[in-house]
Amino acid sequence: MLLMDIAKVIRSKNAGPRCTTLDIMFASMQDYDTVVNAKQITESRIALLYDLPVEQVKIINYPVAMALKVVLPRKIMAGDPGDKDVYGAQQHARLFRIEI
Amino acid sequence: MSATGLLIKEFAGKKAYRPFKILGASGQLGYGIPTPAFEAGLANEPDLIGCDMGSIDIGPYYLGSGQLATARQSTKRDLKKVLLGARRLNIPLVIGTAGSAGARPHLDTTLELIREIAAENKLRFRLAIIAGDIPKDVVVKAIEQNRVVGVDGMPDLTCEELSHTTHLVGQMGMTSFQEALALDVDVLISGRACDTAIFSALPVMLGFPIGLSVHMAKIIECASLCCTPGGRDTILATLHADHFMLESMAPQRKALPLSVAAHSLYEQNDPYTIIEPEGRVDLQHASYTQVGERSTKISGAQWISAAKHTIKMEGARKLGERAMLLCGAADPRFIAQHKQILADVSVVVRDLVCEDTLEDYTLFWHVYGVDGVTDLQADQPPPAEICLLIECIAPTRERASEVVKTMKQYLLHFGYAGRLSTGGNVAFPFTPPEVSLGEAYKFNVYHIMETLDGERLFTPEVIEFQ
Repeated sequence: MLLMDIAKVIRSKNAGPRCTTLDIMFASMQDYDTVVNAKQITESRIALLYDLPVEQVKIINYPVAMALKVVLPRKIMAGDPGDKDVYGAQQHARLFRIEI
Repeated sequence: MSATGLLIKEFAGKKAYRPFKILGASGQLGYGIPTPAFEAGLANEPDLIGCDMGSIDIGPYYLGSGQLATARQSTKRDLKKVLLGARRLNIPLVIGTAGSAGARPHLDTTLELIREIAAENKLRFRLAIIAGDIPKDVVVKAIEQNRVVGVDGMPDLTCEELSHTTHLVGQMGMTSFQEALALDVDVLISGRACDTAIFSALPVMLGFPIGLSVHMAKIIECASLCCTPGGRDTILATLHADHFMLESMAPQRKALPLSVAAHSLYEQNDPYTIIEPEGRVDLQHASYTQVGERSTKISGAQWISAAKHTIKMEGARKLGERAMLLCGAADPRFIAQHKQILADVSVVVRDLVCEDTLEDYTLFWHVYGVDGVTDLQADQPPPAEICLLIECIAPTRERASEVVKTMKQYLLHFGYAGRLSTGGNVAFPFTPPEVSLGEAYKFNVYHIMETLDGERLFTPEVIEFQ
C-alpha cells in the first residue's frame, strides 16, 4: 500500500522562511497506527527523498490529530533568488509513493 | 469612555467573571471577508473583533518595498466592514501586522484607508497605533552585546548586513498591545506583531488565563481554517475561566476536535508549543471535546513564562531589479538537452551584454515540467512539454530587461547538437515575452533579539477621530 492510499491529507508549507513542514494526516486512529507501526516514515527515508543529511530531518508524532509532522530545513530561504516555492506549498508530492 | 475602557472597568476586581466572546474576522485582512458569516458573528454580540493582516509567508518583497500584498480597494472594503461592525456594537477592534508586512509604510497606508473610511462614514472613535519598526541602533547595540541569534540556521547578523535592511520590524507581543489597550481606545492597529497578541492581549488584561488565551488566539487568527471543511469565514471563540469554545459563523463549517487539534500543525514546526516574546504555551495536555454538532470545547494549555524576553526580528534588503522571460518548448531533443543549452546560451548572452561593462547581474531559470517546482527525482520520465521561466536580477530595470531580451533572441535561435528544428527553439504565448517585475528583495534579518530588562521597543500613540 502507498502512503497516498491511506492518508487523508499530505501537505507541505513553510514553518517560517527557513523550514518546510510536511503534515501527514489520517482519517482514523487505525490508519495512523498502521503507518506508525509500519515504521516506513523514518528520518533516513525522508532524508533520502529530500536529499538532506539525516540529522536535519525531524519527525513528530501527533496522535491527538492522528497526524505525523516532518520538519526539514529549506535549501534556499523563502523568497531568496533561486527559490522554487515561496510558500513551500508544493513540496509534499514525493511522499505519495512511500510504500507502507 | 471608549470600548477598551468600558471592558477594563467592567472586569475590574472581577477577573474572568463572565464568558468573553471574540470574533476572528479574517486570517488575512484585505482578501475579502465573507459578509454572511461576519454578520452572523456580530449577531452573537461579541466583546472584541480581531483581524490578522499580515505574515512573513508572503516573502520578502512586501517588507522590503513597503508595498501591500492586497489590493487597495479590497483592503479598504474589509477595513470598512470590521470598523463599522465594531463601532455599531461599541466594542474594540484589534488589527495586527498592518498592511501585509507591518513596517511603517504599511501602517501608514492602512491609516490612510482608516482616515478615508472614518470621513466617509462620519465615525468618531479613539484609535491607538503601535509601530513595529525597530531602530537599527538598538540592534547594533544588541549585536555588540551578543544578544542576537539567527533563527533556524540564519547566519549571524553583522552591522554591515543590517545597514542594507530597508525595513526592520519586530514581532511585538501581548505586552505591547496591552499598553495600547490600557489607553481607553476603540481601535488598535499595530505594525508587525505576533498574531496571537491580537486576540489574547485584552482577555489576559481582564483576568483570563494566558495559556488558554494564547491557545485560542493561535487558532482563531486563521478564522475558520480550523474547521471541517476549513475556510476563511469569521469564527467565534467564547473564552471561560478554564476553557474556550469555538464555533464557525458559517453554518457549513464545523469546528470539530480533530480539525481544531490538527490546526496546531499548520505552518508550525512544533504542534505542542506556541512561542511568544514573554514565554511559551505547552499544549501537551490540551484536550478537545465536541459539543453539539459543530462546536468544540478546548482546555489544558499551560503557560510557561520566559526568564528573558525576546523579539523575533524580520528585515529585507534590496537585491536589484527583476525581469523575466516566459516561453515553452515541445521539441524532445531540446527538452533532453535543455540544461546544457541554457548554460551555453547564458555564456553567449554574457559575452554580448558584458562586452563593454561588468557582469553585474544574476541569471537563472525555472524549468516547469522538469524541476521548476521541486528538485529533480531519480527515474523521472521526460515531459512532453516544458515551460521556461528565465529570471534576471540586475542593478537597474533597463539592465535586467536587456539581459532577458538578449537571452530570448539567442535561446530562440541557438544551434545545439542534433537540432532538427531550425525555425526556433521556443514558443511564446504572446509578445513581448519579457516582463519587468520591479524591485527584488531577500530577507536578510530573521533573528531573535534578547531584550534588556525594562526595554520598551514599541510605543503606542493615540489618534482621535472627531
